[in-house]
Amino acid sequence: MKLCEFLRPASLSAARDNLRELGTKGMILAGGTALHFMQDHTPVTAVDITRLGLSYIRPDGNFYRIGATTPLSDIQRYRAPRWAMHEICRRISTHQIRNVSTIGGNICRVFPWADLPVVLLAMNARMVVYSDHENEYSADEYFATQPAKRFLDGNILTSVKVPALQAHHGFGSVKVSRTTAAFSMVTIAAVLELDGSIIQSARIAAGSAIPFPRRLPNVEAALVGKEAVSEVFKEASTKAARDVPWRSCEGQSPEYSQHLAEVSILDALERAATFAHGRAE
Amino acid sequence: MSDNPTANFKQVHHSVTKIDAKQLALGKDSYVGDLAPREALIVKMLWSPHPHARITSINVSKAEKMPGVKAVLWHGNVPRNIHCTAGQGYPEPSPYDTFIFDTKVRHVGDRVAAVAAETAEQAEAALKKITVKYELLEPVFTIDEAMAEDAPIIHDEPEAYVPIPIPYDPKKNLVAMVGCEAGDFDQGMQDADFTFDDTYETPYAQHCPIEPYTSLAHVDSAGRIVITTSTQVPFHCRRIVAQALGLPVQKIRVIKPRIGGGFGSKQEILLEDIVALVALRTGRPAFWQFTREENFITGRTRHPIRVRLRAGIKKDGTITAIGMDCWNNTGAYGGHGLTVVSCCGSKVLPLYRCDNIHFDGKVLYTNLPVGGAYRGFGATQAFFAMESTIDKMADAIGMDPLEFRRQNHIQSGDSSPIFAALGEGKEGTPMTIDSCALDDCIAKGAEAIGWDKRTDWRDKTGRYRRGIGMACLMQGSSIPHIDMGGASIKINEDGSFNLLVGATDLGTGSDTVLAQIAAEELATTTDKMIVYSSDTDMTPFDVGAYASSTTYLSGEASRKAAADAKRQILKTGAEILGLPVDQVQCVASHVQNTDGSQKVSYGDIACYALYSKNQYQIIGTGSHFTEKSPPPFAAHYAEIEVDTWTGLIRVLQYVSTIDCGTAINPALCEGQTEGGTLNGISYALTEQYLFTNGRMTNPSFAEYHIFSMRDKPPIKAILVPSYEHSGPFGAKSVSEICINGPAPVFANAIYNATGARLYEFPFMPEKVLKAIQAVKA
Amino acid sequence: MKKNPQTVQFTINGESKTFITEPDEKLLDLLRREGYKGAKFGCGQGTCGSCTVLMDGRAVYSCLLYAMQVEGHEIRTIESIGTHDNPSEFQQELIDGGAVQCGYCIPGMIMSATALMENETHFDDETVREYMDGNLCRCTGYEKIWSALRRVLDRQEAQNTQS
Repeated sequence: MKLCEFLRPASLSAARDNLRELGTKGMILAGGTALHFMQDHTPVTAVDITRLGLSYIRPDGNFYRIGATTPLSDIQRYRAPRWAMHEICRRISTHQIRNVSTIGGNICRVFPWADLPVVLLAMNARMVVYSDHENEYSADEYFATQPAKRFLDGNILTSVKVPALQAHHGFGSVKVSRTTAAFSMVTIAAVLELDGSIIQSARIAAGSAIPFPRRLPNVEAALVGKEAVSEVFKEASTKAARDVPWRSCEGQSPEYSQHLAEVSILDALERAATFAHGRAE
Repeated sequence: MSDNPTANFKQVHHSVTKIDAKQLALGKDSYVGDLAPREALIVKMLWSPHPHARITSINVSKAEKMPGVKAVLWHGNVPRNIHCTAGQGYPEPSPYDTFIFDTKVRHVGDRVAAVAAETAEQAEAALKKITVKYELLEPVFTIDEAMAEDAPIIHDEPEAYVPIPIPYDPKKNLVAMVGCEAGDFDQGMQDADFTFDDTYETPYAQHCPIEPYTSLAHVDSAGRIVITTSTQVPFHCRRIVAQALGLPVQKIRVIKPRIGGGFGSKQEILLEDIVALVALRTGRPAFWQFTREENFITGRTRHPIRVRLRAGIKKDGTITAIGMDCWNNTGAYGGHGLTVVSCCGSKVLPLYRCDNIHFDGKVLYTNLPVGGAYRGFGATQAFFAMESTIDKMADAIGMDPLEFRRQNHIQSGDSSPIFAALGEGKEGTPMTIDSCALDDCIAKGAEAIGWDKRTDWRDKTGRYRRGIGMACLMQGSSIPHIDMGGASIKINEDGSFNLLVGATDLGTGSDTVLAQIAAEELATTTDKMIVYSSDTDMTPFDVGAYASSTTYLSGEASRKAAADAKRQILKTGAEILGLPVDQVQCVASHVQNTDGSQKVSYGDIACYALYSKNQYQIIGTGSHFTEKSPPPFAAHYAEIEVDTWTGLIRVLQYVSTIDCGTAINPALCEGQTEGGTLNGISYALTEQYLFTNGRMTNPSFAEYHIFSMRDKPPIKAILVPSYEHSGPFGAKSVSEICINGPAPVFANAIYNATGARLYEFPFMPEKVLKAIQAVKA
Repeated sequence: MKKNPQTVQFTINGESKTFITEPDEKLLDLLRREGYKGAKFGCGQGTCGSCTVLMDGRAVYSCLLYAMQVEGHEIRTIESIGTHDNPSEFQQELIDGGAVQCGYCIPGMIMSATALMENETHFDDETVREYMDGNLCRCTGYEKIWSALRRVLDRQEAQNTQS
């Protein structure tokens, strides 16, 4: 993407005003890494929102609140009880990218291979968007379509609220890639809510090798009310095909993508069960 | 070896500090891109979007009027001289099938027109204003399509020819054919208790030097063209640019500064003709650096080769016949096509004793990316087939594959009919193996990997299964009677020396290695050497950095030059000391008498010769060509873990042994071995060219996966000593051989883990999973 | 595209400087144009790491930052690390260990390693790999770079535990 102007607004409202005025000729810059790969050659004005105090991670009631311009490396390094967001962040791209690329940049314009939306969907995170005031969106609502549409009229994502996992919650994520820095072949995230050994609720999400990150309701339905054991996980993972058509990816066939997803769902569920039973950290 | 000559070495066989390491670690200006002046014009190229098309018209007039544009080059305004871009000996064993620009494009990424402008943005903007009309032609994407009756003809230009007497039939897309027979292959197959007939496929790959192709040219005050370029072959570059531009060699100077890696890719003249032309036309310096995408799409690649391997063995493990048929896809241009396929035979078939050998190689044009030289050079492709089949042979007779190799591999004192039969574009040179420490390589590698604990795949269960695989390898050291290297060395007042070599250090450390060799011969220390490589105006000729030749061939040239200078130093030293020359010797940078009671330093000798009496410049020169190409040998091992549910492979450990003769610089030898091995590992596992209608769709490091420090498995390099009497201080080559191992080692390890045998790589998980499922079924 | 010259001010290797730039210029291009050529062009796509510099002590790809983004920040390049007479500890280990082959990746490697050493106190292998995963090398197989770095880190860790 070509830049013809570079603005550093002093406040959130100034940034919003800049963006409203610029319309399609404006572009939010949160880390800027994605801008280099956008093929649109119409010059745009960058509106830099990295200086508005939106880089932070802090506990906030039953949530952890992550500022929109928090780089992935900060999320990777953050530690708190039953904090799980670092697992996926350490698997995204390279060290230098993680230092610049932000959570907001990753989820405001979602690419098919993006990993964070998968985890945020499973975690039932909430996205806080500023226009004239702040609105909150559930992950299901937020990721129902390409979120970029939400930001056409000067709205700005300010933070992401990730629920603090409770003792009876299990979280597991799996990212399969050819090398550690490579785009994902398939990404799965799972959150299980357990009552003893029985699965009370399940949120399973997938990304890569499908057009857009999404939850897998058929897989979830096959888990709820059942015991959290391998046989149940295995049976549930076979429902992945009912939820979404898997597609080819970097030379691998759709059939293989689906197979890999099924194995990854199983692995993610096993990890989630281990997490719930207390993990070594 | 009765005595150990390496014990007395003071400079060679020591891990002397690489002489340019500090400047590079400090980030000092060293590479072509660092040397470009700010006023240099920036060159950008319009590449063909089509795999096969005729250009019916080009209009560049709008582009020429664009801001900042100083030159637009296209087929209508440049010389039309047929040539070959491959930097090889002369005349080349490759077809002349290339023009600076042609009226036809033969692959996606073929040249159409170049723009030179003040800035990159201006050049790119001007490219968009060039209008080209194409008549699309049917493309040829596979060797089968290329060989088909009535296949589209890729090279129909009347000028195309091959400058040496070998078969070349462009009307059939045939770039070259080569073959040889020894004994009676058919009889050997009949005599066998077990026969094998398998076809293997090896894929495209790019070298991925971190420095992309980069060239800079300017016209100097005397009107000569000076090209500073990231090349492995400065002298071939000068000759080929002269040929393409129709200029005398005299008018061109090529300088090679520090190079950011090559691995064969920069043995090709892809940018230099253009920057030279721009400099000539505009009078301005011209700079051109490929983007990473261009490096993949229009840079050179490894030739994909199909190998059909037929073989027969007796129950006792005797190999009765080996037949290798190779089909080499050379892409749109034929450079290195013949020599790569020749090396499939010549660098692989001699490894195992066998009386009845058949070899046949065919090279075909397609409308795909252009193959070139790539570390391993045919041996990589053919060893995948050979070493996979060797494991199958051992399996068939229930023998340990390690024992089977030990029983059959070539030994010191052996020869092979292949050495005499297969050369590069001509017959080869008979050779008897002098040094061979392959048995030691096998033993030391087996110990390091824990070969003892290896169990049969049928005993393995569970999702994750471990397997151990091995392969034995050889290569060569230079090309006999074709390659040539030169060196000169002169002394300075303080006893330092200028060592000028044509040999081309492209990051390997050859400057250091050659300095060590010269220092050893001169009985001085390596830090006294000021090495300069390479500059066609300043340094002696050398064919360049390829064919695993620099240490063995250019090293001997440096040793000879040093020996020549040493004779002069001894003579002058004796004169100063007032002794007969046969009563003095060189010891520790001095000339001295036998007991050391009288001595004079090299510095004093230089001052005497330069300033005092009977004045002259002490300067030695040396040239060398080789009579043989002694193979380095290697045994590689890996332990892997296969996820039988997904087909994903994890490499737990890799052991890379090598017999490279005397390791002139052990640390650098290990570094070569580790680096080449890791390149081979990702080639075998994750590197792939994906195509849509002839266009590579993954031309970036984001999608073409080479390993990072985080991906790297532990690699243990083990140098196994031997002494090659024909090489400088016992050395032979090190650089190429190690890349040949990982593909067959992993294929054999996958089999050992799961019983699944793969005949093509990269071993992508889907492929592995399918093969595992086939075993179960 | 219409030119739009602007200025950007930042600290480079300890000196505050102002440069003329354009909104579209990448930091790598500015640095090389201004003589900081230790950062190399290898891919221009944020994948190879040969352009790595430090921004406020963190390793970043200078090919993937617009120069305007670094306004007010602190940039450090390889030019700030070591001299011929006094190379840094890691540089010396790389040189002594035969870890520098073509050398094109090495300045970037050193910058990533500098970030590692300055930001962490414990250097377990996994942490080191995560800091170094954005610098590609095609020559060395990383073995000698790894062991050179390990030697420096082990010494530093020993010092940290002593003090």
